[in-house]
Amino acid sequence: MMLVVWVMMFFGQEVEKSDTLGLQEIQIEAPAYQEYGRGKKRVSWNKEIVKSYSSRSLAELLAEKSPVFIRQYGPGMLASPNFRGTSAGHTAIFWNGIPLNSPSLGQSDLSILPLIVADQVDLTFGSEGALLGNESLGGAIHLESAPIFNQSPNITLQQEIGSFGQYHVGLKGGYSTEKLGFQNKVYYQNNPNEYTYRDFSEVGSPIKKQDHAAFQQKGFQQDFQWKIDPNQQLKASYWWNKANREIQPVMGSSIRDSQSDKSHRISLQYLLLRRKGIVEIRSGWVKDLQFFNQIRNETSSFFLNADWTFTQSPNWEVRVGSRGSFFSGNLSTYSAEETRIETYQFLNFSGVNKLDFSFNLRQLKYRDKLVPFIPSLGVDWRVSDEFLFKTSVGKGFKIPTLNDRFWEPGGNPSLLPEESWQGEMGFLWQKGNFNSQLTYYKMKVNNWIIWLPEGSIWIPKNLREVQNQGIEWESKLNTTLGQYELHMNWAYTFTHSVNLPNSEEPASFWDKQLPYTPQHQAQGSLRLSRSKISLQLSSQYIGTRATTLDHARLMKGYFLAQMYLGYENIKLGSFITSFQFRIQNLFNEEYQVLYLRPMPRRSFHLNLSIQL
Amino acid sequence: MKFNLIRLGKSLSLSLLLFSCIENDPERPLGEFDSGILIMNEGAFGANDGEVFHLNPSTGTLKTNIFESANARPFAGLLEDIIYENDNLYLVANTGKIEIVNPGDFTSLGAITSDLDQPRSLTVNSGKLFISDYGPYDQSYGTPSSYIAVVRNSLGGVVAKKIPVSRKPEDVISFGNYILVAGSEEGKVEVIDAEKEEVIKTIEVEGSPAVFYEAAGKIWLYSTGSDEVYFYSFHLDNFTLATTNIYPIPNATGKIAFGNNDIMYLLTSSGWPEYRDGIAQVSVLGPELNPNWYSGSGFYGIGFDKERGELYLANTNGFQGNGTITVLDENGTELRSFESGRGPSGFLMR
Repeated sequence: MMLVVWVMMFFGQEVEKSDTLGLQEIQIEAPAYQEYGRGKKRVSWNKEIVKSYSSRSLAELLAEKSPVFIRQYGPGMLASPNFRGTSAGHTAIFWNGIPLNSPSLGQSDLSILPLIVADQVDLTFGSEGALLGNESLGGAIHLESAPIFNQSPNITLQQEIGSFGQYHVGLKGGYSTEKLGFQNKVYYQNNPNEYTYRDFSEVGSPIKKQDHAAFQQKGFQQDFQWKIDPNQQLKASYWWNKANREIQPVMGSSIRDSQSDKSHRISLQYLLLRRKGIVEIRSGWVKDLQFFNQIRNETSSFFLNADWTFTQSPNWEVRVGSRGSFFSGNLSTYSAEETRIETYQFLNFSGVNKLDFSFNLRQLKYRDKLVPFIPSLGVDWRVSDEFLFKTSVGKGFKIPTLNDRFWEPGGNPSLLPEESWQGEMGFLWQKGNFNSQLTYYKMKVNNWIIWLPEGSIWIPKNLREVQNQGIEWESKLNTTLGQYELHMNWAYTFTHSVNLPNSEEPASFWDKQLPYTPQHQAQGSLRLSRSKISLQLSSQYIGTRATTLDHARLMKGYFLAQMYLGYENIKLGSFITSFQFRIQNLFNEEYQVLYLRPMPRRSFHLNLSIQL
Repeated sequence: MKFNLIRLGKSLSLSLLLFSCIENDPERPLGEFDSGILIMNEGAFGANDGEVFHLNPSTGTLKTNIFESANARPFAGLLEDIIYENDNLYLVANTGKIEIVNPGDFTSLGAITSDLDQPRSLTVNSGKLFISDYGPYDQSYGTPSSYIAVVRNSLGGVVAKKIPVSRKPEDVISFGNYILVAGSEEGKVEVIDAEKEEVIKTIEVEGSPAVFYEAAGKIWLYSTGSDEVYFYSFHLDNFTLATTNIYPIPNATGKIAFGNNDIMYLLTSSGWPEYRDGIAQVSVLGPELNPNWYSGSGFYGIGFDKERGELYLANTNGFQGNGTITVLDENGTELRSFESGRGPSGFLMR
């Protein structure tokens, strides 16, 4: 009962940060999704919050702090996002504006995206193909590097040890002047993942130690920024990442697979400020090499983007641009190449009292196919100093992946892009140290691609229509209790995502919540701090999930909690050190996110960082 | 399901003496699942949600997930085969384990949970289990190390020996102290001496050997080719081929049901891209031959209730949820349909 009370009282969620950047900063620095995403819900985690997760993955941050359900096949194993009841491939993921999703799989593994590389993480919700392009049906994730000018030389070493043999080390170092900035991040982690679990596949359901879920990961990122002159700026980042994993088998399976993922990622951005506007040229290259056992799959993506932002009057701001993308894949069963050309126009209008509009359009061509025009329209209505009303409507699309079209055998070149239409409305209420955000959305996804067997061969088809709607509520309160600072967050998410009737599936599959899509999620956190010491309790509740479309098996909901005890900024000579002691799964819950894939019970982690 | 079950059901009523390894326990009271139809639901790859349902065909009552209900834990495997031998039911999971249950109530009697790779079927002989196993995949997803695993206890335990056989062994059948192995990938039938635990003879056949069965006092082998199917019988004194029957039935999958009057029903599938599933009708001992007896899509398992003269046809519904069972009469007319578990793939008529 206490747990229920705790959940009801302390659902936790970081609420969208207000737009506090100055106009000039926005013009130069703000990504398009921030500047032209009016009427859309956005959630952000700033540098301080991301830093507290720097020994962990994006999957862990989102699972603990976002309304996005993360489908995890085990700790450190494949983790994919479920935004507003859509599938893993319906989420676009960007690193410094460069799409990261694999062109062959159409998705990313959030477990091998370490947060040490990011300074800010933003989530944008809903269908926004006009502003973001391909794959943004349910939402998008943005990993951003912060500006690094005017910083004194700094080096931070962070080490973490934890239960089940976990070890992580990260090293950050940077130096910058007014014009030049360098930043390096190097990381390594090893986790044998030798946690115990109850093996339901064996007689007596014995307690066993996980013996095939070890993973190692290492990599580095180099950021470089250069203010060439007051009107020109260049940013460049290079990120190399390698992960080796034993694939945790589903209970009852003797399979012993292993997977290696190696990636090279480059992002480049050039800004030129002119009296008539800003020219931005952005380019990127992503190369992914994966070995599944001995099977080699390699893909690469190249992007070149140019746009021009100008203001016709104080009320009108326009950005027009084009992007060319080139994809190639050398997979185990096929090779394919593809070029895509897209052009877009973003428009902000603030000419009506208290109303700010964004109107965005995109047109994309791939091979000889034209994706139907993609629009979005959003409005922010500043009702009062305390209330902001938001509403928007937008379309999303996803071009079938290379695997969908070219996999041998079974690839279906005639597949149509998946499409979605979404409308949302909500408000932000901010009063003193309290703010709250409530959003309602409704979405329909057409041409949803499903792989189905035809004899022994699996074939992708544009089979389903899915209707999603839901409510997302997040609140935050900062206050003081005597000498203590108190920060509280709570959140609740309701997701109703159903497969509409179709002629190719039995009626038992119709009008039911999609598999592994919880209707109810809740979060809460409470942070109490005084001077350098802080104590944080956070919790999440994930509701019942069905394992299949017909709800033949329902997995019970689970409740997780974490405790953080921190002692920060302790001066030891010329060093500044910080300690964090963390307990995950505080109440030792036995749970599975996906059926027969056990997750760890209570674990302990000690994190030490030393800053020179 | 390969028709070990129907084969053995027949063997109980027709030729018990031929299969000397079967030892019924007259003391065991009949249980709820000792009659009716067991529906084998393979489950979906990666989910390991295979299970067994039980149908009372007289009342139409369907009991779901009877393994989990009886044992308070999920089956947790991809159910490849069910074999009734030695008065036990053996549930073979191709994900690497065998569960042994009481056939009357499905309570667990034992298991083999280690040292197996991809078991496909088994037979009991001389108090031992002989388990056909593809063996581990190599780098190119071949199975060059297939074997027959020997467990020296009919209620499970550890694998005592692995007898190398040709690639991808499927069905196995006992005769006296010998075991015949259907080597599906290399077109071989291997004969194993159950006492010596070694291959003593190899017989070359056409096609892809799939299922052994017994009829007219002989052991038969059903083997599939791309354009035709083969039925072989054997001389059991010296393990040589006795008869060969070839029928022009293309795209047979290896799944077969044994009907009344020696008629057999074979599942066929044209595969991708001109996808069409079907059922062919053939009789080795009679004149029937109809390569296009029934057609449709999504067919994954087949069984025949001889008592009622009804054919059970399983459809997976793409493994997206539970499958559907369609019941046909002997003219191919649909009588009824009902929902089964995930990936229904075979039937055991008790």
